[in-house]
Amino acid sequence: MSNTRFALLGMLLFAVLFASEQLVTNQYVFFVGYAVLQYVVLATAWNILGGYTGYVNFGTAAFFAIGAYVSVAVNKLYHPPLPVLILVGGTASGLIGLAMGYLTLKLRGVFFSISTLALAIVAQAVITNWAFVGGSSGAYVIRPRFGPYGGPFIAYLFTIMLVMAIAAVVLARSIERSKTGVGLAAIRDDEGAAEAYGVPTLRLKLMATVVSGTLMGMAGAPLPFYVAYLDPPSAFNLSVAVNTIAMPLVGGTATWLGPVIGAVLLSLIQQAAMVTISSAVNLLIVGLVMVGFITLAPNGIMGLLKKRRPAQ
Amino acid sequence: MTSLITRRTALVAATGLATTTMMRTPLAWGADKPIVLGCSMPQTGGLAAIGKANLLIMNIWKDEVNAKGGIMGRPVQLVYYDDQSNPANVPGIYTKLLDVDKVDLIVTNGTNLTAPAMPVAMERGQMVLAMFALTVNEKFHYDRYFQTMPYGPLGKESISEGFFDAAASMNPKPTTVALVGADAEFSKAAVEGARDQAKRRGLKIVYDRTYPPSTVDFGPVIRGIASSNPDLVYIGSYPVDSAGLIRAAHELGFKPKLFGGGMVGTQSASLKGDLGDLMNDVVSYELYCPAADAKFPRVKGLLDKYQPLAKTSGVDPLGYYSCPFAYCTMEILQQAVEGIKGTDSEKLAKFMHQATFKTIVGDIKFGEDGEWDRPQMLTVQFRGAQGKGYEQFADPSREVILHPPAFKTGDVHYPMGG
Repeated sequence: MSNTRFALLGMLLFAVLFASEQLVTNQYVFFVGYAVLQYVVLATAWNILGGYTGYVNFGTAAFFAIGAYVSVAVNKLYHPPLPVLILVGGTASGLIGLAMGYLTLKLRGVFFSISTLALAIVAQAVITNWAFVGGSSGAYVIRPRFGPYGGPFIAYLFTIMLVMAIAAVVLARSIERSKTGVGLAAIRDDEGAAEAYGVPTLRLKLMATVVSGTLMGMAGAPLPFYVAYLDPPSAFNLSVAVNTIAMPLVGGTATWLGPVIGAVLLSLIQQAAMVTISSAVNLLIVGLVMVGFITLAPNGIMGLLKKRRPAQ
Repeated sequence: MTSLITRRTALVAATGLATTTMMRTPLAWGADKPIVLGCSMPQTGGLAAIGKANLLIMNIWKDEVNAKGGIMGRPVQLVYYDDQSNPANVPGIYTKLLDVDKVDLIVTNGTNLTAPAMPVAMERGQMVLAMFALTVNEKFHYDRYFQTMPYGPLGKESISEGFFDAAASMNPKPTTVALVGADAEFSKAAVEGARDQAKRRGLKIVYDRTYPPSTVDFGPVIRGIASSNPDLVYIGSYPVDSAGLIRAAHELGFKPKLFGGGMVGTQSASLKGDLGDLMNDVVSYELYCPAADAKFPRVKGLLDKYQPLAKTSGVDPLGYYSCPFAYCTMEILQQAVEGIKGTDSEKLAKFMHQATFKTIVGDIKFGEDGEWDRPQMLTVQFRGAQGKGYEQFADPSREVILHPPAFKTGDVHYPMGG
């Protein structure tokens, strides 16, 4: 399927889900849906750098939180509409991604991963000491009761996240199937050889860090409106980073569909566990599923499906 | 043989019985339908210790109420979910409680776990009864919000008021103060309140710093404070820091006139037991301690129920900090429901703004923004502890109440270790 057709399919999916929203009277559906879609965006964003390019990013929480805090700061100054905050938050995280990509050009493998972890720690220290956005005391964001087109505000947040999730998946798929995607795969397989064959590794790596960072920042920008109160420990929560890595690994990192499957599966399990088993068992579930897939199915669910296909 | 019951009589009797049954059924159902109370309570993560203790108390209250026939003949049911101490989980949980579980009433816990529940409650006009939350409604000004921790109208300043009042009674009066706190939500609020108090009382602030929450070595912090030679040291800290700062002060032989303030953790049995005699002369805040038994005569009975259960549940074995106030929250809820004979949020809020509640921690009347109309934070000084072990803190003489005057059981002892 061509990228244009896929994008049209995405728009059709949006139209169907948007129309279905009007039938939903239980707002809990929107809260669960928001959480699932947020992870679809994050997992897809992580996969562009971690899956396609092979650069494992442990600093997801930093990009996510920067998007959220830039949103808090800009909202405090100008009160623009949410889509503007998302664009600004995404741009800020994208620029951080560019800086990180540039500064870690020569780092590969585990050294790159450690540097992303360091970024998360530095970012948290900066935010904790940034009094304008509440610093360590946290920031309150009073969200409107209704969305701009009527209906509860959470339905509006869900719609916004739905648009971002579909856009992120369409973008990831088009990157995967383009020359850029082939270049990223070459970097993942053997960066030295790719460079020797004329793949512009520097440019592609920078592109991957910027796109990945931008999407993560965009996913974080609506968070203050979702929680109403944002403090550094919750914005930089470990579960964000762990989930975002686990989801593509469970779904499969080689394709755009893997992170989507992983995100939907794991976040639904977590949401269900929270209101049934009701304990931190859900993070344990993520850990066990991740260990299970890494040892038994290193290519994730997509890898398992691919294996079964020739037999059929 | 003539039948004693004619067909017509039987028909009338059957109709009557059926009508009575139909009439009785909804009444009986209405009376038996439980009052469902919902909450998001941290059972894991950083706030689990207090969340578990609160849940234990809520269950004790529920069992007591149900044993007496419930509220207005309706049994009480408790629905809770573990938010994992993560604010991001809170909006979804309260939406589920209100929209799916259809709970009648909600209770919230803690500052950063109450704030995310506010928009969900406000959108539905739901009354919010919060415990252990600091000045959340300053931002929302929601007229159906009530909070049971006794900060009163002073807000964050109430945490340090007693410390500075006690310091003012020294002779000669102190002139300098060092302020130090963790770079985190509660400790920062406590130090901000102390800063305002110090300025208002004309004290010279000679040290005013924060330290990262991840700090483990407090020697440099204490050395820094000692180098400014303050009369008073006001600290806003979390449990690990509280222990680290007290230990470091002892190790370095630092003995200002007064040391302590808003130290979280000094209320818990485990920290008291671990530090033991190192706590002597440290000043901190409490909500309840055995020295206040005369003012709160019913608390002992509650703790007698709580303490055996706490040992098996692995929560604070003494329960001085959260138990009385978690229980008073439930009492307020019960009295409010009985007061309006229902669970309608609008009527509940109206009633709660006007009523005075008779609780285990005294009479409570709500003032502006749903906070207590007066502060009742206790400022205490630890005295006479020997060796280690938390059991000794059940002795009322181990914590002397310095403030407020109505609860005072002794004068401040200074200098530290003197």
